[in-house]
Amino acid sequence: MAKQIFEWDYSSYPGAKKYPNLFTPIQIGNLIVPNRIKYAATEDNLNQHDGFVTDADVEYMRRRAEGVVGGLCFMQGVYMDAARKGQGYVGQAACYDDKFIPGLKKIADAIHSEKAVAGFQLMDCGRVGAVEVPVGHGPSAVPQRLRIFKPMAEMSNAEVKEMVQQHIDAAKRGVEAGFDVMEISGIVGYLISNFISSYTNRRTDEYGGDIRGRMQAVVEIIQGVKEAVGPDIPVGIRLCSEELLDDVGGNSPEESMQSYQIAEEAGVDYISCTLGWQESIYPVISRDIPQGNWLYLAKRAKEHVKIPVQMAYRIFLPKFPEEAIAKGELDFWEMCRSMIADPLMPKKVLEGREDEIRHCVACNLCLARLFRDAPMTCYISPVCAHEHDPDFFPQEVAEDDKKEVMVVGAGPAGLECAYVAAQRGHEVHVYDKRDVLGGTLNEASKAPYGDEELLTCTNFQKTMCEKYGVEFHLGTEVTEGMIEDEAPDAVILATGPVYSKLKGAEEDGKKVVNVLDVLSGKAEVGEKVVVWGNRKPGIGVALKLAKDGKKVTLVGEDKSAGFDINPSFKWRYMIYLRQNGITAYNDCSIEEVGDGEIVVKTLNGQRFPVQCDTIIITERETNEALKATVQSEGIELYVVGDALVPRNLSSAVHDGYRIGLRI
Amino acid sequence: MPVNAEKEITKLWKSLQGAQGEICNTYYRWRDFAVDMAGESADPMDVGLKAAEAFGQYIGKGLLPRLNLLKGDEGFLGLVARQLAGAWATEGAAVRVEPGENPNEAIIRCTRDPWPTAAKTFGVSMEEVALSREKMFQAMLVDVSLFFNRTLSIEMQKAIPRGEGEWVFKLSLGK
Repeated sequence: MAKQIFEWDYSSYPGAKKYPNLFTPIQIGNLIVPNRIKYAATEDNLNQHDGFVTDADVEYMRRRAEGVVGGLCFMQGVYMDAARKGQGYVGQAACYDDKFIPGLKKIADAIHSEKAVAGFQLMDCGRVGAVEVPVGHGPSAVPQRLRIFKPMAEMSNAEVKEMVQQHIDAAKRGVEAGFDVMEISGIVGYLISNFISSYTNRRTDEYGGDIRGRMQAVVEIIQGVKEAVGPDIPVGIRLCSEELLDDVGGNSPEESMQSYQIAEEAGVDYISCTLGWQESIYPVISRDIPQGNWLYLAKRAKEHVKIPVQMAYRIFLPKFPEEAIAKGELDFWEMCRSMIADPLMPKKVLEGREDEIRHCVACNLCLARLFRDAPMTCYISPVCAHEHDPDFFPQEVAEDDKKEVMVVGAGPAGLECAYVAAQRGHEVHVYDKRDVLGGTLNEASKAPYGDEELLTCTNFQKTMCEKYGVEFHLGTEVTEGMIEDEAPDAVILATGPVYSKLKGAEEDGKKVVNVLDVLSGKAEVGEKVVVWGNRKPGIGVALKLAKDGKKVTLVGEDKSAGFDINPSFKWRYMIYLRQNGITAYNDCSIEEVGDGEIVVKTLNGQRFPVQCDTIIITERETNEALKATVQSEGIELYVVGDALVPRNLSSAVHDGYRIGLRI
Repeated sequence: MPVNAEKEITKLWKSLQGAQGEICNTYYRWRDFAVDMAGESADPMDVGLKAAEAFGQYIGKGLLPRLNLLKGDEGFLGLVARQLAGAWATEGAAVRVEPGENPNEAIIRCTRDPWPTAAKTFGVSMEEVALSREKMFQAMLVDVSLFFNRTLSIEMQKAIPRGEGEWVFKLSLGK
């Protein structure tokens, strides 16, 4: 007899009318889930390095549980071996002993406190594990391609059986801690996927051979866990629908679908459809992949199995899963990064507040941080991983402390600061000489490979500013006199950067243009272009022009192009630079500007000419404008974003948020 | 524009040659140190070959991200051969890759190599230079073979330090 843990009635919510399929119950195993929403298990590095759960992680999970409005909420995958070979992240929760149960129970209780279904995931990180020990374990000792991962040792037959038992024992502990659903992680290079893949499993015993042999350990885990947790707890598995490892002899898509069928035969109650390994050479989830791109894989999975199919992977907007569920091509909308950026995202969908969603910009900073042993951080959300700290959330100021705040600049730093300050009760006025909100993000979003998604930041901030009564004064350039006349209590200078001058480029006849004018289409450029500055603004405009057929050379003083892009996304840009025929001279400066060419000087002093008819300035400097005036008037002053130090969107948003809290 | 191309290229070329020379010299300085550490009872040739093996292992690991099976086994063999040749060329050697007698073979031919000259400076025997190169290549292939689940082997057919005028290696991909 199927049961439902918490009752939910969505009938009065606008989101349930707009997306009826998302808010329709579904049965998995003997459990009825009120809706089709799942926060998928995601590492956050917030726990103690010995595997014990922290209050920070409990509150992180509580917030996501609130977001799923009754749906599935999975805590991060736990490692299950005392030897810690299965531990892939320094802050990963452990479950190899009963001593961890009280901490895990706190998470289950937190999820239940929001009337959500608590999911527990078993995750031995295998090939990408052993983060704290010298050697990892796997079905075969296939060397690591990336040096950041530990060398591998082949598991003996007895060790494989022990690993199966560890999954079963951990599942029992998960049930004791109060979790409602069990999930086995078999994805992205973790141990289970190592067993399934022909790339990493070269065993000759019963755990190797053809796909059925390579699935044998998985089958034993599924059957063992099912028996251990009993009929009331559904057991699911996350499996690769395509490994994207054809360059190293991984499974074919057909073999992956066979693995789905074998898992179904073994008794799993649902499959979460995933894609690619961390070692794959193909992009899967970065912004350059269009949203909804991978839904065909869920459809294919549905054609091969009868149990419910779940999927995340570039499905940030509710319309995609809504349509896919309606067509019978998907059963669950999974989310990882979109609920890292905004834990309440599905709740806002339900309540008809979609414009209040802070959308993930698919930059993968969160992953880059986790791989480098740092706690979770979100590029676009300053509060992510600070859910346990009340100081990170806006507190209303006392009536006497309310201030009139002038924000100069309606870019991401200014707008972020404005709505947070207004939310706290200050009277906030935002000025910008432009007629539109967003500042330089308007131009940045014109760069190719998905950068239009950056504008979701402005849309969110605009909504929040309007919600909290921020007054906009667009088309108004703030002058020194205006500051003196208005005499606000506080001034926030979010004026953006000043673009650097190139020595020798001021003379007539030399075509030097600003990156903003190029991206906005105001400036014309020739056929041979030099972009000065090898950070993201330079890369963005270079790629746009190269795609327009221009011959582009990038010159910059950073050691490598894209120094300001996190490594989990930067590799994509390096490939795009190559694919578009862009030459990058890094560690170089422009020594001279002549007619039809420039002289590039390397860090070592070598000089060489580069032909060009246009030079585009993307190098930026701190903006000192208005600072002296504000200080001389004795007004409380804050400088945020690129005006303070030219950096990136993330720094602008985080700056603005923190100052918004401080005023 | 006031760029003297000849001067700039010469400057760059000298820097490159200096850096290439330093690769050999640094290697032999460390070899000297390792021989001293090993003590009088140790055979310098054994120490040298062990060092070559260790170097090869590290270089081999670095090859893994640059190789793939996307163009089948024949393409893979060519990629490996070019990587070995490329690593040698970086050290200052004049190397090229030629087809072998069948699709499972490739020839790596080197007609100029700075290593024997540097070895003389450090009093290293020419036979050790020859065997070290072979050992280094063999060690480079260990992880590559294991990673791609293919059997790669390399055989030294000629060696400059043996007075044979050129280096010739036969790279083979086994079944």
